[in-house]
Amino acid sequence: LSTNVTCFVRTAEPLEYHRSFLKENCRPDGRELGEFRPTTLNIGSINTAEGSALVKIGNTTVICGIKAELALPSSDAPDKGYIVPNVDLPPLCSSRFRPGPPGEQAQTASQFIADVIDSSNIIKKEDLCIEKSKLCWVLYCDIMCLDYDGNLLDACIITLLAALKNAQLPKVTINKETDLAEVELQHKRHLQIRCHPVASSFAVFDDTVIIVDPTAEEESLCRALLTAVTDEDDQLCALHKPGGISLSAEKLQDCISRAVTRNREISKLIDKVIQSTEMSK
Amino acid sequence: MAGLELLSDQGYRLDGRKASELRKVQARMGVFGQADGSAYMEQGNTKALAVVYGPHEVRGSRSKSLHDRAVINCQYSMATFSTAERKRRPHGDRKSSEMSLHLKQTFEAAVLTQLYPRSQIDIYVKILQSDGGNYSACVNAATLALVDAGIPMRDYVCACTAGFAEGTALADLCHAEETGGGTALSLALLPRSQSIALVQMDARLHQDHLDTLMEAAMEACKGLSKVLDSVVRQHLQEVSVLSRD
Repeated sequence: LSTNVTCFVRTAEPLEYHRSFLKENCRPDGRELGEFRPTTLNIGSINTAEGSALVKIGNTTVICGIKAELALPSSDAPDKGYIVPNVDLPPLCSSRFRPGPPGEQAQTASQFIADVIDSSNIIKKEDLCIEKSKLCWVLYCDIMCLDYDGNLLDACIITLLAALKNAQLPKVTINKETDLAEVELQHKRHLQIRCHPVASSFAVFDDTVIIVDPTAEEESLCRALLTAVTDEDDQLCALHKPGGISLSAEKLQDCISRAVTRNREISKLIDKVIQSTEMSK
Repeated sequence: MAGLELLSDQGYRLDGRKASELRKVQARMGVFGQADGSAYMEQGNTKALAVVYGPHEVRGSRSKSLHDRAVINCQYSMATFSTAERKRRPHGDRKSSEMSLHLKQTFEAAVLTQLYPRSQIDIYVKILQSDGGNYSACVNAATLALVDAGIPMRDYVCACTAGFAEGTALADLCHAEETGGGTALSLALLPRSQSIALVQMDARLHQDHLDTLMEAAMEACKGLSKVLDSVVRQHLQEVSVLSRD
């Protein structure tokens, strides 16, 4: 009988249900306020892509595939290549998304990822140039959500970083006589990752309570969302608080410190998974 | 034909299989939390995901709902990184629309839609890695996802491709064999009643060879149905152990 009552309260009065847990400093799934859901990572499973990674934060599952193509550099940046991220929220990940062109959430997520790539300098675009004004790489980073349960941005950044670390590009030279590109598929090199940004998302409830890593239900009930992206030198790469209720400066500082700790956890996880994939090869 | 030899003299194919040998199949059910039913299927190097939502109320226009049965809505799409060349239009192009329609027609034959009038069942299939047999992997994954969602069906729907080379029928073609220029036949079968839900062939074939080709495809589908059945039983065992605790 008690489970029926709690299910009723959860559906009829979801905010009260969550408040009753927050009063005891915990959440419905048993986590503490500052605890992330268990994060698992799987690298290199898609062999048609140059690099790939699949990340699961709790139930949220996001996959990233990196495809590289050759292109002409643009005339105003002749020594730079391109990195094109794209976030796709297909209807299979949740019933809230309808089939059709990318919705608002997918487009804002894509723009956020593009901004993080630019601001954190995860890959220097000059590294993607093969020959100035003649040939450069275009890296298409296609991020797809397979199961949506909140905290999309964190998962996207982790899977992007892991996929870029996994990606291998063949050596390309331009033949002096024919002026054509020659691709040597046997000589593959990893990309040079200059920065390791990791995102941490927070949700604000009722003016005072800040929880880390919100689920989809918590995201729909909270009054503000905040995402902080830090790199491995404890520098802030991006801060994203799209509206919502106002937050004091010290609360913001707490969130940033939590994000710094999360960066270390995730970096360790990525390194561990990469090492174990290398050893199993 | 010159170039790719689909069947060597010793009877081995391009990837070392024998003529009637299927690729390694790995499948898992109940992989996603949000969906009512989900399944992940690997047939060799082809990886497919199927997700089922429903039965639920018809979304969008009420006029689409049928008074005596459920509407099945299928969407087939390929991930942009699933093919060797990046796929620019993963959905909405003609091939995807054709595949979506085929999937819808296949499952309308198998699902007991009369039990859910005026509702809608959504089947979303995504190909994560493509190496031939896309339609078959989708159908098999969607069958498992429908079983995971608890939607009643007449029978399992198993699909497989078959080809023809050097007078022998080849079962379960990979990408190189499909595009090699020979015959490729796709078959979706309901194994217990041996009834064919869908058959499609795009190539020239002498009608004397059609019987051998169909036989090979049906044998392959029956083999696959045994694999799918064992996956379902194993999943049910795991789930019942968890719920007992």
